[in-house]
Amino acid sequence: MSLLVANSLTVSATLDGEHVPVIRDLSFSLAPGKVLGLVGESGTGKSMVGRTVAQSFPPGFAVSNGSLSFASADLVTMDTEARRALLGREIAFIPQEPLSALDPVMTIRAQFDEHLARIGVAARDRRERMLELFEAVHLPRGAELLARYPHQLSGGMCQRVLIAFAFASRPKLVIADEPTTALDVTIQARIVRLIAEMQERENTAVMFITHDLRLAAQVCDDILVLYAGRTAEYGSACNVFAAPGHPYTRCLQLANPAMRKRRELYALPERMPGLRAYNAITGCAFAPRCPNAISECTRAPPPLAEIGASHFAACIRAARTADIAAAAVSPTENRAADATILDVSGLTKRFASGGLFRRFELTAVRDVSFTLRECEFVGIVGESGSGKSTLARLIVGLEEPSDGRIAIVGRQMDGSRDAAEHRRRHVQMVFQDPQSALNPRRRVGGIVTQPMEPSGASREDRLARAGLLLSEIGLPPEVAMRYPAQLSGGQRQRVNIARALCAVPRILIADEIVSGLDVSVQAQLLNLLAALRRERQFSMLFISHDLSVVRYLCDRVLVMYRGELVESGPTEQVFATPAHDYTRTLLAAVPPDDPAEVWQALSA
Amino acid sequence: MNALPRWLRSARVLMGLTIITTIALIALLAPFIAPHDPNEQNLISTFLPPAWVKGGDTAFPFGTDSLGRCVLSRLIYGARIAMTVAIVASLGAMLIGAVLAHIAGYFGGTLDWLIGRTVDVWMSFPPVILSLILMVGLGIGLRNVILAIVLVDWTRFCRVLRSEVLVVTRRDYVAAARLIGFSHWRTITREVLPATLPLLITLVSLEMGIAVIVEAILSFVGMSVGATTPAWGQMIADARQYIYDSPWSLIFPILMIFVTVLGFNVLGDGLRRTLDVRVTETQRT
Repeated sequence: MSLLVANSLTVSATLDGEHVPVIRDLSFSLAPGKVLGLVGESGTGKSMVGRTVAQSFPPGFAVSNGSLSFASADLVTMDTEARRALLGREIAFIPQEPLSALDPVMTIRAQFDEHLARIGVAARDRRERMLELFEAVHLPRGAELLARYPHQLSGGMCQRVLIAFAFASRPKLVIADEPTTALDVTIQARIVRLIAEMQERENTAVMFITHDLRLAAQVCDDILVLYAGRTAEYGSACNVFAAPGHPYTRCLQLANPAMRKRRELYALPERMPGLRAYNAITGCAFAPRCPNAISECTRAPPPLAEIGASHFAACIRAARTADIAAAAVSPTENRAADATILDVSGLTKRFASGGLFRRFELTAVRDVSFTLRECEFVGIVGESGSGKSTLARLIVGLEEPSDGRIAIVGRQMDGSRDAAEHRRRHVQMVFQDPQSALNPRRRVGGIVTQPMEPSGASREDRLARAGLLLSEIGLPPEVAMRYPAQLSGGQRQRVNIARALCAVPRILIADEIVSGLDVSVQAQLLNLLAALRRERQFSMLFISHDLSVVRYLCDRVLVMYRGELVESGPTEQVFATPAHDYTRTLLAAVPPDDPAEVWQALSA
Repeated sequence: MNALPRWLRSARVLMGLTIITTIALIALLAPFIAPHDPNEQNLISTFLPPAWVKGGDTAFPFGTDSLGRCVLSRLIYGARIAMTVAIVASLGAMLIGAVLAHIAGYFGGTLDWLIGRTVDVWMSFPPVILSLILMVGLGIGLRNVILAIVLVDWTRFCRVLRSEVLVVTRRDYVAAARLIGFSHWRTITREVLPATLPLLITLVSLEMGIAVIVEAILSFVGMSVGATTPAWGQMIADARQYIYDSPWSLIFPILMIFVTVLGFNVLGDGLRRTLDVRVTETQRT
């Protein structure tokens, strides 16, 4: 007996008077106690499924066909009162952004109380129930926690509180929409484990929405891969992951850098069609990006065919999917020369904070020493708050060190004008968020050649240089005349990289430049960086919280923990035989490449 | 792509611009369109009602005041003072306020503290009283009215703009510009200013409305341009004594102030809605 059943569910949006099916013919069933993963890149419509359950659509969106039934009652045709009675009691949600899901001006207790009152817990039992639930989600000192405000808790704690909220009513179904995306890697494993634990205890069904196929393979019983609003593949997690039938699933898998074996990343070309293009698609929506596509693929949408035991894929050439492969990469050809290009020793940064009377100091970076050789890629890993971004800002000169020395290409940074000029010539930085790092009022051509501006280069010179830089980062020359808002996230990040490369720096510092991007875009960017490295001579400090990315790109890795450098060494060595406990924790937090393997972080 | 910029396609902006341009044209062409000299007295025909009311005279379309001066002509000449003050004073206030706001918001630290506290102290004086005191000290005259308004109202620009500058300065593209080798001056003018400009323009158009009101208040109490130059506030003050005998000469200047301020406010509101990225961005998504 299934709890949640979708039967050829279609959700349409009205865009400029035209009806566009955002989700088309979606069918699945979710049994009690099972976990269904909805996987796909951003824009595939995976969140729309969660919204359909609550019937909370953006303006212009509505269910136009099919049904979605919960315990045999159709959620689409159900009247609002009846649905409201279900939501929060029988069906609960775990949101993506824990901090924005809690009211910042109410204490945890007030919010929890409100929720418990709504689900009908008697006033005198509420406090006890709250403490009981906090214990269940492993939140220590629950009594103290009740008096706190959301901003006094970390992101991970907020997410635990929200999980406690969600399971408070012993719901039959929990919908978790990217519950770990906004959190650190180390916390991700704990949150996932917690959801699994709660789910087993209450025999709850969980719909787990995520863009990370590897994570879904670990957590879910069944996986449904969505592409452009249609089911690309549906089957048990083991089958889907071990023998993907749809090329899209296979490409997603290959776009994710592996933790064990280093191989070339398969970068899906182009982008998924936008909503407005849906109606123009005649055949398989994935065909334009598919390495296996033949002319027949564009004729009619492929039907969902059974390719194995309850394993379905919408591909007419599903048998050939396994042929898609990314070339193996020889372990980083060690091209790093011996010359030291950046020498940091005893670097310390303290921030003074607090008011006029109660001042205290916070040490963001403590006594960090390392060197960077010519043409070497070094990764810096650590969770948020470990001081890795501060370290980057110290090296490029956006912050002044409290203590310690930085030498760049043989020159000490002593705060003089000459030293600053020297630093500017040799070091450039790529910022994390291209949205904020690109001036929305400048054209791309102006942005990438910005370093030429102070010297008063002519318009022709700049345009010529812009064309050259754009071709180097794989964008067509006409992009030079566009504004950043007209580009996709991945394209913007490329522009961001191009600007840093314009001045031909010898050291590039990249602060989390691939986090927050889809795996396919991430793979494109990582391959771009690897290609640039082959063509140009530069060293890079690559800051990331994603270990598999660092594993793919870097020769050496530095592990930071609470402002200190706790481990450093060649990537292979650190990943194979981590010496520090923290490094081991970080490594264990990444879901393994093969779902058959035991994810230690889950079982521990 | 449409040929017209977004802000010109807004009904509010068009309406505001129409009102303001009309009044500005009237002010510019005053000597040609005014039927009489604004100070010409005609003691035989005092308190004439407008021409369309019984007892009116077509020679004085809007009637006459207590000294038999033509109300229409005085309104037309009064527009000159109102518009001059509105434009010059608000631009002056904008200049001081914007420069200080950018310095405070961009550099932060002690400079920010110093400018912030100055604004605090400045704003704790009641604005109308402060400008009255300034007028007493400076003496009457057009230049001094403008100066008084500038000295009182720059704080408004400074405070609002500073927070905007602060937000923009924290953007990574400003840090990127510094890393690339932009000087502070170039960073402010090329990276920060374009982002704060929409707010600046909006504030200026709202300030123009405020300047018209302040000038009217000052001339109402006789602390503005002097008795020989016609001004709307002064006309209200004159007509106030005869409100029961001749309400018309009171109503017209009030209407003029109302329409002018409305024009500036509608324009400012329209500009805010179309230029402010925070409003337009949320609408687009």
